[in-house]
Amino acid sequence: MRNAGTCQQFVKAGTSVPDAVLKLQAIVKRFGTVTAVDRIDLTIERGEFFALLGPSGSGKTTMLRIIAGLERPDEGGVFIGDRDVTALPPYARHVGMVFQNFLLFPHKTAAENIVFPLRMQRLGRAERDERLAWAMSLMRLGGLEDRYPNELSGGQQQRVALARGLISRPALLLLDEPLANLDRELRSEMEVEIRRYQKELELPFIYVTHNQEEALTMSDRIAVMHNGAFEQIGAKTEIYTNPATAFVAGFVGHSNRFEGKLVEISGGLARMAWQGDAMLVPVPRDPRPGGAILFAIKFEDLEIARAPDGVDRTGRNRLAGTLRDVIFKGQTANYIVALGDGSEITISSAPRGLDLRMSEPVIVHWPVARGATFHV
Amino acid sequence: MTAKRLGWAVAAMGVLLACIYLFLYAPIFYVIYTSFAADIVWPFPPAFSMAAYGDLFTSSLYGDALRNSLVLGLGSALLSTVLATGGAIGVLRHRSRWRGLALGLFLTPLFVADLLIGISTLAFNARVLDLPGNMYSAIAANAIPGTSFAFLIILAQLVRYDWAMDDAAMVFGAGPVRCFIEITLPTIWPCLLGAFLIGFILAFNNLEISFYNLGAIPTLPSVAWGSLRFGLGPELFALAAMVNFIVFAIFGVMYLLMRYKIVRFGYRETL
Repeated sequence: MRNAGTCQQFVKAGTSVPDAVLKLQAIVKRFGTVTAVDRIDLTIERGEFFALLGPSGSGKTTMLRIIAGLERPDEGGVFIGDRDVTALPPYARHVGMVFQNFLLFPHKTAAENIVFPLRMQRLGRAERDERLAWAMSLMRLGGLEDRYPNELSGGQQQRVALARGLISRPALLLLDEPLANLDRELRSEMEVEIRRYQKELELPFIYVTHNQEEALTMSDRIAVMHNGAFEQIGAKTEIYTNPATAFVAGFVGHSNRFEGKLVEISGGLARMAWQGDAMLVPVPRDPRPGGAILFAIKFEDLEIARAPDGVDRTGRNRLAGTLRDVIFKGQTANYIVALGDGSEITISSAPRGLDLRMSEPVIVHWPVARGATFHV
Repeated sequence: MTAKRLGWAVAAMGVLLACIYLFLYAPIFYVIYTSFAADIVWPFPPAFSMAAYGDLFTSSLYGDALRNSLVLGLGSALLSTVLATGGAIGVLRHRSRWRGLALGLFLTPLFVADLLIGISTLAFNARVLDLPGNMYSAIAANAIPGTSFAFLIILAQLVRYDWAMDDAAMVFGAGPVRCFIEITLPTIWPCLLGAFLIGFILAFNNLEISFYNLGAIPTLPSVAWGSLRFGLGPELFALAAMVNFIVFAIFGVMYLLMRYKIVRFGYRETL
């Protein structure tokens, strides 16, 4: 915890670290006939790392711009702390932001970029220099003060953008896909760093991304957004293990999907007819026997064994197939299995101790309570 | 296709290109050449003399005219650039179904003959404002086509500007004016300078609009025009050469500045 000291100082020195609560009430934003944000309510707690996860066009960036004041909502209210900021322009809101492509000012040096928010607040030079030193050391940017943005590497630009977002001690920091333009290695490095800054500063971060891994790695809470509305909002483990809708099941994690018919419900489980077979699956919400259902189960929730292995598998679903391919990934391997109907499913498990050969008959099995079921 | 035939085709294209450049620049170089000639009526074989420039600098008429032309050019260029910058930013930033119309209305003055702009401003001054010809109205009238030209130049450059940069500045606490001065202007000033210089050249060289608005106040083009009555004097050639030199110098400076600017800051093309 090399930065713990400077961090304490940050908390103490602030004249008032705001209560850092954001509230959105029934926000609606339309662009022409398209409703980009459709009656969204949201409360962000102090010190929370919140991820807005969704595919492009789901309205997540529009929501971030509404919070920043770069878009005016057509309906609803935005509250920062206990202030109604709905009608305020961006420059009166006191939020920090890290933009996609960083958006560093190309004609200003790294240091000039970072102190820009402080200059706009007309902070005294002494205080400005002090905070600049703090931000530079927090972001490990020492020695790069006088470089122009085009003389910095992608990771350095990212850190300058973060420093600029944090330096004015904003009520909250908005991050709009800040890692989208970095290469994979740098991205995973920055994921860890950004989370560390957030935890140290205890500042609420709202992080917009279409990348589920980023959201899962960094955040405490995730809202999955689709067509301008929240599909599900909750702790990240909850989102991952208990998807509330078919969309969430498809978007978060890697799942196999089976479409079948709900036959009956008994003993807290649903019987699904699938390709002339029957599977026991969790009961969908508002079950309608006879209705079409979708069963989604994550790659790693399936297990694979050589067939026939003579093991008793009561309480488990079983599917017979042949092994098509093994994609070795290091810690895990993906086993691709062709089922009787020609469809393929993927099983992810530790690669050790499973010396299966190509085209070998296998059994795919899993406990009956696993996975998630939805009416479609 | 043989290499030999291809070679002929390239040579033919080269000759054609040379002819086009000759067509474009022969009159200008003839004037410059003649201005240094001892005999302007038949300047061949070459015999050089600076007499024409001596005549030019001793005549007080040309001094006044030059001063007036500079004031006219600078004033009109400033006005055009300010109006065109506002217009271009407005057209680019505000999505509206009237956008096309707004853009068109900024450009249509280009298609109005200078003569008509001159006559109509003269008539407006005389009938409505009851004013004689004056420098202010000449500046304003020259800024009409000047604004259209400047608008075209600025618009062509500004489409590359990333307005998200202004969003960033605003989130970090800069109001609209601060944002323009701190962020937008430092990035776009080369194209504003380009528009300013073009506006200057247009107004500086203009005869029709200025003539109607200024009446007896001399400018370089109006003096050149007026002196035709007394025959082609050698100082006219010197004057034309000087004006050409100024214009070329402006273009040269503009090129170097833009070039320098791009090397130093540039648009964010490295990303």
